[in-house]
Formats: sequence, C-alpha cells, structure tokens
Amino acid sequence: MTTWEGLLYGIGFALQPAVLIYCVLGVVLGTFVGVLPGIGAMAAISLLLPITYYITPEAALIMLAGVYYGAQYGGSVASILMRLPGTPQSAVTSLDGYPLARQGRAGVALFTAMASSFAGSMIGIAVLVTLAGWLSHAATAFGAADYAAMMILGLVAASTIGSSSPAKGFAMVVLGLLLGCVGTDVNSGVQRFTFGRTELLDGINLVALAMGLFGVAEVIANVRDPDRQGVTERIGGRQLLPRRDDLKRLPGPMLRGSALGSFFGALPGTGSTLSSFLAYALERRVSRTPERFGEGAIEGVSAPESANNAAAISAFVPTLTLGIPGDPIMALMLGALVIHGVQPGPLMLEARPEMFWGLVASFGIGNLLLLVLNLPLIGIWVAMLRIPFRWLYPAILIFLCLGVYSVRGLSFDILAVAAIGLAGYLLALARFSPALLLLGFVLGPLIETNLRRALLIGRGDPMVFLDRPIAAGFVLATVGLLALSLVQVWRRRRAR
Amino acid sequence: MTLRMTRRSALACAVALTALPTAATAEDAWPTAPLHVYVGFPAGSSPDTLTRIVTEPLAQRLGQPVVVENKPGAGGVIGVQQMLANAGDGLSFATTINGPLTTAARLMKSTGYDVATDIAPVTLIATSPLVLAVSASSDFTDLESFIAAAGTEPEFLSYGSVGQGSGAHLTAELFADAAGVSLLHIPFTSYAEVTTSIVGGEIDAGFMAPSAALPQVEAGRMRMLGITSAEPFPQAPDVPVLAGRAGLPADFRAELWNAFIAPAGTDPAIIARLNTEIGAILADPEVQQKLLAIGWQAAPGTPGELADRIAADTAMWGAVIDRVAAKP
Amino acid sequence: MQRDPMHRDWPDILGGLALAAIGAAAAGWALAQYDIGTLRRMGPGFFPAILGGLLTVLGLVVALPALRRRSDAPGIEPLAALAVLAAILVFGLGLFRIGLVAATAAAVLVASLPAPRPGWGWRLALAAAIALLTVVVFGLGLRMSLPLWPRLP
Repeated sequence: MTTWEGLLYGIGFALQPAVLIYCVLGVVLGTFVGVLPGIGAMAAISLLLPITYYITPEAALIMLAGVYYGAQYGGSVASILMRLPGTPQSAVTSLDGYPLARQGRAGVALFTAMASSFAGSMIGIAVLVTLAGWLSHAATAFGAADYAAMMILGLVAASTIGSSSPAKGFAMVVLGLLLGCVGTDVNSGVQRFTFGRTELLDGINLVALAMGLFGVAEVIANVRDPDRQGVTERIGGRQLLPRRDDLKRLPGPMLRGSALGSFFGALPGTGSTLSSFLAYALERRVSRTPERFGEGAIEGVSAPESANNAAAISAFVPTLTLGIPGDPIMALMLGALVIHGVQPGPLMLEARPEMFWGLVASFGIGNLLLLVLNLPLIGIWVAMLRIPFRWLYPAILIFLCLGVYSVRGLSFDILAVAAIGLAGYLLALARFSPALLLLGFVLGPLIETNLRRALLIGRGDPMVFLDRPIAAGFVLATVGLLALSLVQVWRRRRAR
Repeated sequence: MTLRMTRRSALACAVALTALPTAATAEDAWPTAPLHVYVGFPAGSSPDTLTRIVTEPLAQRLGQPVVVENKPGAGGVIGVQQMLANAGDGLSFATTINGPLTTAARLMKSTGYDVATDIAPVTLIATSPLVLAVSASSDFTDLESFIAAAGTEPEFLSYGSVGQGSGAHLTAELFADAAGVSLLHIPFTSYAEVTTSIVGGEIDAGFMAPSAALPQVEAGRMRMLGITSAEPFPQAPDVPVLAGRAGLPADFRAELWNAFIAPAGTDPAIIARLNTEIGAILADPEVQQKLLAIGWQAAPGTPGELADRIAADTAMWGAVIDRVAAKP
Repeated sequence: MQRDPMHRDWPDILGGLALAAIGAAAAGWALAQYDIGTLRRMGPGFFPAILGGLLTVLGLVVALPALRRRSDAPGIEPLAALAVLAAILVFGLGLFRIGLVAATAAAVLVASLPAPRPGWGWRLALAAAIALLTVVVFGLGLRMSLPLWPRLP
C-alpha cells in the first residue's frame, strides 16, 4: 500500500459511522475532562478504558487518541483562563496566555491556542506519514549519552524563560532538578529525601507541584484583588477574535513549533515537555521584541501549543512502529490493544494496515472536529471570566484538589498541594519563575538516570559524551550557547 | 401461651443451629455491600488488567459489584497499605504482584506492614516467567555462547532491568550466580527503555516478560535465549527453559506472580468462599486465554500454597539481595 | 544610592538567601546520608550534592547584588494565604473522614472568609452550590470512588 492509498483507505475507514462516533466521543470527553484542573489525558483514558473492552480495537484506539489530544486542548483552556496548568506543557502556554486573558484578550489567546494546536497536529500528521521510518530509526539510535546531552542542552536553552534575571532562572531550574531527586533512586534503590513517607517513594506528584505553584499561588494573589470582584466590562464580542496584526504573527511560531515538536515527540520519554519549552525559548530569541514575552505575546501561546500537539502526534511513531510506548499514556493505549489480542510492534503496519492508516486519518478528522467543537465554545469559556472571582475561586480550589487526587488516589497529595501552594506564593512574591522549576523537575530524573547510565555503559569513561556523534553535537551546541550568553552579558556590561 | 412461644422459638433455634455450621447461611449473607479490591498499579497496567479480568466474573458470582481501586506507587506497596488502612469493613481486599509480599520488606526502609501477621493469603492468580532476550544482531545464538562470552571477564556483558531490586534485576543476578558469571547491571525505568536499548545495541541483554519481547522477536530484532519457568510457556512455546542448561541447576526457576490477598483477621469462611470462586473463574478457558494475552498464566491454588510460595520466594530473593548488597 | 534599609530589594535578598539555605541543607544531607560513589558508578548522593552546591551559589548570586539595589515591596496577602491553604488542608483531611459533601462545604466556607464581601448568606449558598457541583462532576460524571457522606461506625 502506498502512502496515498493508505491515507485514502484510512480516511474511508475513519469516516465509517461506527468509528466516527467513538472519535467524536473521545474528542468531546477529552476536551471537557481536560478543562478540569489537574485532570489530564491519563485520568480521562483510565475512565474510558472499560468501554474499550467492548468495542473493536481500531475504534478503541481512535477513541483513546481523541481523548489524548482533546484533553491536551482542554488543558490549555484552563491554563489560559485561570492559570491552572496540569502539565509542564500547558504551564508554558500560560506564560503568555494568562496575561492575555487578564488584558481582556482571552478570546484571542484561546483562538491562537486552538489554531496553533490544529496546525501543529496537521504538520505532525504530515511528518508521521512521510518520515515515520526515519523517526523510528532515530528513536533507537539515541542512546543514554545522547539523551543526557540533549536534555542538558534543552535546560540551558530554556533557562532564560519567564525570568527577570538569568541567575533567578537558573536557580529555579536547579531547585526543580533537586526536587526531582526526591524518591527512590533508580540506580541504587536508595530512598532520597523521603523522610519515611511511602507516598514520596515515587517522587513528588507532578500535578500537585504544578497546581500548587501555579493555581494555588494565583488564587491567593487574587482573592482580594479589587480588579476581579465585579463583572469585567473589558471583554467584548469584537475582542474575541484576533486582529489582522495578530494573525500575521502566527505562521512563523506555528511552523517552528511544529518542527520542534515533530522531532522531539518521536523520542520516547521527553518529547512533549522539552519541545514546548524550546519552542517558546526559540520564539523569544528570534523575536525583534523579546520584551513582550511574558506580558501577553501571542507567539508565546502559538509556538508551545503547535509544538506540544505536533509532539502528541509524533509520540505515536515509536508506539506504532516499534511497539515501544514513549510515555505512560502511550503504554495505556498499547495495553488497550493487547487486551484485544493486537500485538503492536514493528510488523503492525504490514499485519494490520487498517489500524495504522485508520488511526492516522482519525488524527486529522479528530483535530478538525476539535476545531469545529471549540470555536463556538470560546465565547462560553470567556464568559466564565465574567463570574466574580469570589464565587469562582473556592470552586477552583476544590476542583484542583480533586484533580490532584485523581492521579493516584492518595489524600497525602492534597495536603502536599497546600505546602507547595505556600512555597509557590512565596516564590511568586519574590518573582521567581515556577515554569522553569517544573522544567527542571520533569527533566531532572531523566538527566540523572541517563547520565549515570551512560557512564555505566561506558565503564566510567566520560569520553562517551564525545565519542558518539549525536551526543557530541549536543555537547558542542550547549557549550556554544553558554559562550554566547556570556558574551551577551559581557557586552551589556561594557555598553553600560 | 408463653410456653408454646418458647417451644416454637426453641424449635427455630434448633433448625438454625443445624443449618449454621455448614456455612451456607454465612455465604448467602456475605457480601452485603460492594467489595473493594485495591491494586497498587495504575489503571490499564498489566496487574490492573489482570485484576479486572478476575473481578468482573467475581462480581457476577457474588451478586455484588467489585470496585477496583487503583492506588499506584512504591512498586505496589501502596496498594497493600491502602487495603490494610480500610481493613475494618471486611470488604477490602487486594491483588498484588510478588514484590510487596516478598522483597519489599528487604528493599524499603519500612513498608508499614508485616506480611506474616498482617496479610491473609487467599489464592495465587497467575504467574509470569521472564525470558532472557538479546539483540538479533548480536553474536549470541544460544545460551551457551552467551554464558561463554560473559565468562571472559567480570562485567564483560551488560543487562538492563527496570530498577534496583526489580524482578528483572534480581532474576538476572540469580541467573548470573547460578551460571557462575558476573554481569554489569544497567538500571532503567521501564521495559520500553530496556527494549530500545537492547535493539539499539547499547546493552547486551535483559530479562523481560515474554509479551514485551515477542513483538521485537517476530520483527527479527531480538532473540530469546531461554525462559525462567520450569515448563515452556504457552505464549512462547519454542523458547527452551533455562533450568539444567549450560551449567544451571535443574531446579532453576524464577517467576513473577500475582495473588489475591485479604487483611489478616478476615473470616476464614469468606477467604474459603473467595478462594473457591476465583479458582472456578480461573478454570474457565476464556479467562485463561485473556490472561495469556497479557502475559499471565492462570495458576490458582489454596491459601496454604500461596503462604508457602510467599515464604519460599522471600527466602530465595532475600539471598539474592544479600549477594547484591555484598558486591562492591 | 538609597540608604533607607526599608527600600532594599527584599524579595531578591530573602528569596536568594532562602534558596541558598535549601541548597546547602540538601547538599549537606546528601553528603552525610548518601553514598557519593565514583564517576563510573555514581552513588545516590552525587547528583543532589552537586545540585545543592549549585543552588547555594545561585542563591547567593541572586541575594548579594540585591543588597545594593532598591525595589518596591510586593503586596503580601497573609489572610488570603492563610484561608486558602487552610481550606485545602480541611478538604484533604476531611475527605475520608466526613465525606465529599461535608468536606467540600467546609473548605468552601473557610476559603471564602477573606473574600471582600460581608455576610454569611452568599457564603452558605456558595458552599451548597459547589458541593452539589462537585458531586455531579466527580461522583456522577467521572465516577471517582469517593465517600460522599461520613462513614458510619
């Protein structure tokens, strides 16, 4: 089957009513569940898992995929409107999305997020169809040294995001890395910084961390804010849609973000988070007016949204072509297939072409549905901002607590939100960037295990980072980037 | 009149007394409310799916819903802890893999429970062997060539596991000790990573579930050199057992298993009823087929057999943990 | 240069010093408790010790220059912080003791204390409305396994 035949066949397959209905169900449910703070694709997919036992494996996978990217979009709604990101990716979106919403331009931010998500998905699908073979090769070619070097480059490149000074940015990254050490050390089995709590053995709950640092801190800061007490008059119908100069800014971030997302998404483990942060950092670097970032630049919404949706699609590359799930959500979806006796793996494309092409086509159809569903909803979401904050924030608190609880069903995590919320409020007062803390927290354990693994495999020889061409490339780029920043700092000093 | 009443009640009592000891009445009465079965792994994971395959028919047989409560964390220990925290109601049970009942007490500072006194075994549900997998592009075509290469110098060959103290790690150390070789342990966090690393040629081998290796084997990227069960495994019948080959002892056996447990102090009649019902469920060929599809072989038994298995495996893995700890 | 001590850049000074203290404590704990290992076989203490040291340095880099700088003090909301955090604790501790409905209502009442509008009527109505919404969304909608009411003895 050629690519075109496959695609046509897939579109025909995905448009069958019995398949399409599950696609619609997945997308709609994903969106609404994703809007709830802290409840992401994982919780929504677990909820729908029992249904998948009773439908065909193709329909099951298409429905779960719909939930997966539907929830991603829903999550960006919550982080733009209320600064309630449940994942590090949506935390990046909130960096500029939330300021836009506060300026009365929530509709524009939501439209940008939606259009960029759609563009990212479509580009991701194009990449999946044309480059799947090459990307799956890249996924196995990457070794421990390459991953470690790549993620260190990512940290260095992104560490200037949303921070008033480089030192404060780096400090937040390092604090995140340190918090990432909490829990059982993979290499030695030693329990680090757990203070005897079994709940901390697997580390701090990421959703609790995100909700505490962003959501709770923001609620505290706004409880008594006089601006948020009455009906906000600034939100008018005309401001729901972007102006022409807004639209002109979008294509660049969309393309660059999608390219980054498509590549990094195919690498198991890190893709989506790293590509969102890098896409944001890249836009700020190429922008002629970098000072607008963090104050409501729509490129700052567009780039990470394109990146994480493109990454969400290309994350299926290792899952479908190698049978190797890139993250827990993909593992869940593979599990759903295995129950039906479908063994995903290198042979699936030949053995079950209807599955592969049907899924690819459903990505496109599902994202189109998502666009159609959500454009009219923009008005409703924005109207939520008209509710006086004193009615809204107690509900936000309860919902985010239950969202955190839904991750693993432990009330310990709710209590942790209170502690993290206090820390988050203090960090906000001192103007430190919580987004960078999240980045460090997510990448920290991956960097540590890959670095230690690379040295073990290399039998202790640090040259493993220079012998492998991929790792050496990332190391050189990191050194170059650090040198560049130092030169910039030095020039600024001299200019003064 | 009073007298007649008394006589009638006495009669009723006698009838009741003859009926009670057969336990039929107790069984009919129980359960009166939904059961809660705690699982220490997330929804959709292999132990969770196994549990749901068993609890769905169990709910029909008991006439009460069975709620699966996912409390993932600490390698399944949190699931057992949560069962014990809710032990008072007589309706809280758990399924768990072997780790929390055998090695956890040795690997963790404190699990918060003592298997011997806090847990009442109900039945073994299923077992899963591990296969020794290598890259198809490697020179190792059989177990003998692998062990010969591993013997050239200590830590000449490396293997991946899913973390220090995991089943894959301890099985590999047990294997290496029995074969008289020393292998370099590279810890990963998931079988997906181990598989990628073997296929990519970064590490030499790994012990993993047959279901994790099979897709790669079928695609010609991996080879399976042996399996840790006593008999060939139905999911991969061509893979030879390790026991008795290449200098390994004839009784070499290492399996993961999954069991249904109750809090200590649970009414023995309830445990007997659950044991009977689950045994009947696992005898159903359709259930066996579903379990096999996710890599588990049904293996029901008595509560006593489960208790013996826990004791034997605790001793066996405890010795391996001692040897690993003694390594430099 | 402004000499008035009240107009120093307190957020950066205190924030930087707090981070330096956290870093030093983490590094000290890691060095004392965990094995550092070798380059070939890094121990569990290697990473936290290095990161702790790095955070100490970065914290000082943030704090020390700020001593010679002035900045506006941020507006602190101690009452709002106290009420919001207390509400979360009430909810987390109450959920399995008094059930979802009562824990939600109690947490909403606590959280709404600092809201700048007097009266108990709207607060009680809000508590009831959010409790209902929570049961509908999480209990009926998402089918989360939560006790709705206090557990009977």
